[in-house]
Amino acid sequence: MINQHPQTIAIAGAGLLGRLLAWQLQKAGIQVTLFEAGSFTPDTPQSNRAAAFTAAGMVAPLSEAVVSDADVYRMGIYALQQWPAWLAQLPATDTPLFFNNGSLVVAHQQDTSELDQFARELGFVLPNCTGYQQLNQQEIHQLEPDLHSHFHRGLFLADEGHVNNREFLRLLGDEIIATGMNVRAHTPVDVFPGKILTESGAEHFDLVIDCRGLGAKKQLRNLRGVRGETLHVETKEIQLQRPVRLMHPRYQLYVVPKPNHRFIIGATQIESEDRSPVTIQSSLELSSALYTLSPAFAEARIIEMDTNLRPAFMDNLPKVAVQDGLITVNGLFRHGYLLAPAVVENVLAHILNKPEPIFSAQLNSH
Amino acid sequence: MSYHKPEKDFTLYGETFSSRFLLGTALYASPQLMRDSIIQSRCEIVTLGLRRQNPANRDGDAIWQYIQESGCRLLPNTAGCKSVKEAVTLAEMSREIFNTDWIKLEVVGDDYNLQPDPFGLVEASEMLIKKGFKVLPYCTDDLILCKRLLDVGCEVLMPWGAPIGTGQGLLNRYSLRTLRERIKDVPMIIDAGLGAPSQAAEAMEMGFDGILLNTAVAKAHNPPMMAEAFGDAIDAGRKAYKAGLMQKRQTASPSTPTIGQPFWHQQ
Repeated sequence: MINQHPQTIAIAGAGLLGRLLAWQLQKAGIQVTLFEAGSFTPDTPQSNRAAAFTAAGMVAPLSEAVVSDADVYRMGIYALQQWPAWLAQLPATDTPLFFNNGSLVVAHQQDTSELDQFARELGFVLPNCTGYQQLNQQEIHQLEPDLHSHFHRGLFLADEGHVNNREFLRLLGDEIIATGMNVRAHTPVDVFPGKILTESGAEHFDLVIDCRGLGAKKQLRNLRGVRGETLHVETKEIQLQRPVRLMHPRYQLYVVPKPNHRFIIGATQIESEDRSPVTIQSSLELSSALYTLSPAFAEARIIEMDTNLRPAFMDNLPKVAVQDGLITVNGLFRHGYLLAPAVVENVLAHILNKPEPIFSAQLNSH
Repeated sequence: MSYHKPEKDFTLYGETFSSRFLLGTALYASPQLMRDSIIQSRCEIVTLGLRRQNPANRDGDAIWQYIQESGCRLLPNTAGCKSVKEAVTLAEMSREIFNTDWIKLEVVGDDYNLQPDPFGLVEASEMLIKKGFKVLPYCTDDLILCKRLLDVGCEVLMPWGAPIGTGQGLLNRYSLRTLRERIKDVPMIIDAGLGAPSQAAEAMEMGFDGILLNTAVAKAHNPPMMAEAFGDAIDAGRKAYKAGLMQKRQTASPSTPTIGQPFWHQQ
């Protein structure tokens, strides 16, 4: 559908997808203009920033396959290879940007049936999957000595990682600025094939890519926001080597260790487009989950509470719609870092006229 | 005459339904799966909770609208409310949002297993009925509690099979049988605790009027298929009840001599 190699491209939305696409397309020699309704360097919660800033940056194909399907798993496995390849293209930095240490799933004694349900569902979705291993109390202790000793059973999922996402978004932003790209922050837009409409008028491009997430709600039928809340804490008393997921009958929460003794606990999932601050109910769920993982978290300092909306279609799966002059990419739901590599490479293949865009069956047919 | 005439005798607060299955809308992996499950279940009433969705601001509109498009009658619930006041306030808000005076009343007594608080339930039912609501209370299988709920004006009862989300089935058959025998002419729907279609069929065979569930379908690997399975089981159980189940017989020791075997050899 993309007829010729476009020379000028406008990207609407500087969230995760917008930044990645802008960066890669600029590198491919295309003149890119990046529009962002808010700030290009949003530092504070409640600044209407993209969901990518609130996310914990998990790349967890197995855990997410359990609550979605085998396609999400396949795209996630692809992400585990693609992230290091992309990160190697950024200027060298002392801060690690990607961790690939697996993840741990645990449940309290009275909730161990949740672990069985998790393993059963994995067996359904991925019948021949060998990427996980049942653990006993001692094995859990060996993997994560700082975790509370009362966990008798767990699962180790080898093929899971996480991106140091805020640092990555910042570095990528710097890199984009350094390339001299035309970045237009604080510029809300309407998108049309080959055309961007700002408050000051129309601008024309060979191709427009709409990466606005929920900003595109007016144009995209059945796109909705799903509220998520996170807690950021800091403590030197406890170290985790990998994300830990706590299974509970009513919620699934994870703790992701980040550099500088920080931890992100997330995330609630509420069918609401409410962006207001974290509720007491959610903060209780998040902090009590954290506390039961290790009482040492009791003295951790809460440094941030964040709320955001995940853009999602009604099947909670991403879509890439390609038409002449306009590509619409949206609906990554809770899978931004998990699915961005597959989605971005698919879009790039369409634009750069590669013969078979990857994951075309999953992303382009609807 | 037809032996399979579709029934039209399931009446709740003056409204008649042909399906005796009520389905919850929470916990599905996606709204799409939820709606496919509604379709496969053939249900005509769906429940939905709004406690955590900031209903005062209508922030759940996108999903509520999507549920509404299923064409089912909406039965808003007060899941997550722990006090009478919370439940009453939420019921009033949901009446305004969904333009219905039907409410599935839940007053949570225990945070972990979500067991109903019987005292708060009676109090909230009475208040809501006075305000013109048609209350469908989620209650335990206690006969006296059910009588109190009828005393304050409930016209439907929804006793549990087991605590919410446990999938344990009918935990107290004796109580449930007592309830059915003692309260004959009030529609009773088994709400919560069922995990398998066979359990739903059993409840229907016992003469209960309908089944309400959520987790067993939403947490199945294939929710729409499980919804259909429950729909079939509920139909089967209802038919069996109407057809009249035979009495169980004791056949371990024969009452008459077995043919071909001399009776003095039979001890």
